[in-house]
Amino acid sequence: MLRLPTFLLVIFLVSVALSQSPSPVSPAKSIFTDVTQESGITWSQFSGESPDRFLIETMGGGVGFLDFDGDGRQDIFLVNGGETPKGKSPVPVRNALYRNLGNGKFQDVAAQADVDRINFYGMGVAIADYDNDGFPDLFITGYPECALFHNNGNGTFTDVTIHAGVKNSGKWAAGAAWFDYDRDGLLDLVVTNYTEFSFDDPKKCEIKGVRSYCAQVAYKGMPLTLYHNNGDGTFTDVSARSGFDKLIGRGLGVVTIDFNDDGWPDVFVARDASPNLLLINAKDGTFKDAALDAEVAYDASGNAKAGMGVDASDVNGDGVPDLVITNFNDQYHSLFFGSATFPYEEGTVASHLAQFSKADVGWGTKFLDYANDGNLDLIIANGHINQSIESTRGDVKYQQPPLLLHNDGKAVFRNVRQEAGSAFNSSYVARGLAIGDFDNDGDSDVVITRLNATPLLLRNNVGQDSGWIGFELQGTKSNRDAIGAKIVVTIGDRRIVRWIVGGSSYLSSSDKRVLVGLGHTPKSSTVDAEIRWPSGTLQNASNLEPNRYHKIVEGPSN
Amino acid sequence: MGRLVGRIISVVALAVSTVFVLSSGTLCAQGESTAEAHANRAAEQVQAGNLETAEAELRSAVRLAPGENSYLAGLGTVLAMEKKFAESNAIFKKVLTVTPGDVTVRRYLAANLWQMHRYPEARENLEILLKQAPKDNQSRLLLGMVSENMKEYAKAAEMLASVPEQTEQQPESIVALARSYYHLNRTADARSALGKLSRFPAATNAVFLGAQIADEAGDYATAEQMLMSISPDAANHPVIGYRIALAQFHANQFDESRRTLLNLIEHNAGSREVYNLLGWCYHNQNESSKARQTFEQAIELFPTDEANYLDLLKILIAGRSFSAALRVAKQATLAFPNSAGAFELRGLAEEKVEQFTDAVNSYSQAWHLDRTRSVALLGVAQAQASAGMTKESAATFESGMKTFPQDLRFKVQYASVLLKQAETGDALAETRGENLLTSALAANPSLPAAHYELGNLAFRKGRTAEALLHLEEAEKLAPKSSEVHFALANAYRRLGRKDKSSEEMDLYQKLSGAPEAPATPEPASQSAK
Repeated sequence: MLRLPTFLLVIFLVSVALSQSPSPVSPAKSIFTDVTQESGITWSQFSGESPDRFLIETMGGGVGFLDFDGDGRQDIFLVNGGETPKGKSPVPVRNALYRNLGNGKFQDVAAQADVDRINFYGMGVAIADYDNDGFPDLFITGYPECALFHNNGNGTFTDVTIHAGVKNSGKWAAGAAWFDYDRDGLLDLVVTNYTEFSFDDPKKCEIKGVRSYCAQVAYKGMPLTLYHNNGDGTFTDVSARSGFDKLIGRGLGVVTIDFNDDGWPDVFVARDASPNLLLINAKDGTFKDAALDAEVAYDASGNAKAGMGVDASDVNGDGVPDLVITNFNDQYHSLFFGSATFPYEEGTVASHLAQFSKADVGWGTKFLDYANDGNLDLIIANGHINQSIESTRGDVKYQQPPLLLHNDGKAVFRNVRQEAGSAFNSSYVARGLAIGDFDNDGDSDVVITRLNATPLLLRNNVGQDSGWIGFELQGTKSNRDAIGAKIVVTIGDRRIVRWIVGGSSYLSSSDKRVLVGLGHTPKSSTVDAEIRWPSGTLQNASNLEPNRYHKIVEGPSN
Repeated sequence: MGRLVGRIISVVALAVSTVFVLSSGTLCAQGESTAEAHANRAAEQVQAGNLETAEAELRSAVRLAPGENSYLAGLGTVLAMEKKFAESNAIFKKVLTVTPGDVTVRRYLAANLWQMHRYPEARENLEILLKQAPKDNQSRLLLGMVSENMKEYAKAAEMLASVPEQTEQQPESIVALARSYYHLNRTADARSALGKLSRFPAATNAVFLGAQIADEAGDYATAEQMLMSISPDAANHPVIGYRIALAQFHANQFDESRRTLLNLIEHNAGSREVYNLLGWCYHNQNESSKARQTFEQAIELFPTDEANYLDLLKILIAGRSFSAALRVAKQATLAFPNSAGAFELRGLAEEKVEQFTDAVNSYSQAWHLDRTRSVALLGVAQAQASAGMTKESAATFESGMKTFPQDLRFKVQYASVLLKQAETGDALAETRGENLLTSALAANPSLPAAHYELGNLAFRKGRTAEALLHLEEAEKLAPKSSEVHFALANAYRRLGRKDKSSEEMDLYQKLSGAPEAPATPEPASQSAK
């Protein structure tokens, strides 16, 4: 055997040792990069924070991805809060509509588009093409009313609230979701109303002598609102007819998806210290609340958690929608695995979500496959409501970092903070969250709003390194946005199910395109998709090319 | 008790002095004669009420005639009359070693022991005595009293009823008999006994005492009747009127009680107990703001009375007015910086408004002030857990379990904290929690919280049938617990028992909207009984 000189031997041994040592904490590139500054997004949310500590000051922060001008690039709409009696803004409080210029840059065109000003305190946004004209419209929620802005198709919007009949007067509306509950091809609208509220009634609460926001239980809940799309630019309030007016509670996040796979969209409402609602579509214009049967209404002790944000998709790969709901500190964010029969299985502990969320107050949330490995990961925006929380306990902070959790494929999460990027190692008072592929590179990017601060635009750096396929669906018999569609992607022996949901997250609206991660699949693999359109039509698409978006128009069943 | 024994002894003292006189005639030795002279003088002094002199004379008599048991017995008797029980007992025991059949001396010894609250020994001597002299009525009376003190009510009633003449001579013995009857659920007999109290010369005090007994026994109507019978103006009398109101309160006649109390206040007889009881009346009638005002008024009028602060705190917390409770708690701890009770309630109020670190401090102060208050230490542990001070909380729970091994709340609450911790993936915490609950139930199977937690744990693990067993037990023990009903609703639903599930869910919804029940909804004066 050749004998190495000693010094060479030492070098060899050292290099072997180094190769066997744990790899450095920070990978070559982080999962997300905060590109807010370079994007040109400078808008800042204004909450109207005041000595009166109106609860609404701490609840806003809606954001949405949309391609408002049809140029193929996702733009960003940001809902501002508003002034309060003692919380005045030195400049006019405006929304922002950031047009995607295509080079990682954005430009605020809200004023030109006529969507910069609303006459009420803004909360969230639900984006969809309600009139099927090919251009996404904006429904903005708030107090004491809402507004519907019709996209004129020429870069401008028109406030059609009164004409449409969707003002939702006198209520504090929070979340909203477009969905076609009666499958007539027109998108209807569900609005979650939060609490009875008035600026004339500043409830006084204190923490250690310092004025603080009162707990939500100091405010009475409100019923849901349901608007039926008449197809002529107007809506009918069917809250009473549908029974929604009897569902009184503090509603916040809402998501629509076909939970029981009968082809009709259902509704899940996350409610704050009120029992959650799992409204199963009875197919006759009414819904039945199955939350108790599903055991998703309360926690194990019968307490209604502080449900804020929500999302639904298949996180454990069984083809059935699962639920994530964000809650308050000590409650843990909840994960429920859906099933064909009730109850749903509680997955909060087994998934490790409890472990990561004990001290968090969660808001916007989305399932997303950030790595495009075919498994849905989870992202959550966190932040407390009271600055003085840190004077009452040592483990909960006012500003909190967002959570990025990697799914191992069996719905067990791992906190990937170390690799996620600087944004996940910093703390914020975050609220809304939307996902969208703003750079069209095939992976989900994220925008997170913060109270009284600029949002965070996070560019995904890693998803593009894996195989993926994107779907842009266009309904014909179904609503044009195909909200409610179910896509089953088959690649090899792997089957991945995704939906186009209505609503989701907290006060926010995400890119309607569906991204499916394919992992590191052999180039020879073919991708097939079966689409069940909201109308019920089944359509197959075979031999789809990976690593690109496919625009699929609803055709006859095949 | 003292008056009764005094009467027994004075009767016997007369007999003793007679014995001295009788026995003196049989003595003939000169020393004994001198002793006799001392004994005679002692008897005279006893009759004159000069017990100290009588004692000295008898000591001389004993010194001169140490073999004469009657002098020794006399000395023991006089010492007993002077309440010098220890020496008296020693002398009586010495006499009994020589003449164990001396019924009188043994009776005196028993009476001494009774007054010293050494009931088993008193009983032992009386039983020996009654074997020798079954018809000794004084001893039967005394045994009845001793038995009543030892809560042997059947024996007490038997003995006291067997000597009606003796029993009816003192209010205390009548009351003992009545109390025994009440405990035996012989209410009519108890009332009949109490009816004899009105015959006494100092009837007011006797009847008052009887009314107290009736009230304690839950015979509120009799209590009220007796009090009203004292005089036409009984209700206006500060003490009697208050007792009437208290009896009415206990009978849940809150309107009547309130009227009685307001009448007393109108007649300038509004003591701190009156205001306190009035506050509780309003509270029990769900007039929370009036209750609060009354306690606040009581605090203003009687600022040194801690009870009103504490009771105000209790009703504020029960009514979920936690911020107001915290304000009052801070005032209370300022006013009574050495009151462990005030700091404990302050800790509770701080917990309710989620100021957990402050709650830790307040409970800690309560614990520091009174190391017998297990609730304070439990509060520290729980508040530490709520404040995220996991290690400190664990240490405090462990210390609590060692310091108060009989107080199973430490095990149960620690288990609850551990099971919550287990949800973050700590398997060891779950095992420990489950073991603590099992151990607590082994010591006391009637712990609803332990059954509830074990039921929930089994439910989470899919062991629904096992969960149901625990939850049904929890429901029996804590029928007003909303969380138990909720858990049962889930368990029944999983087992396909939809009707039972709906029933439990209805109960849950009804109970979860109800105000919190206070830990001790009794007026502060009650707890001193």
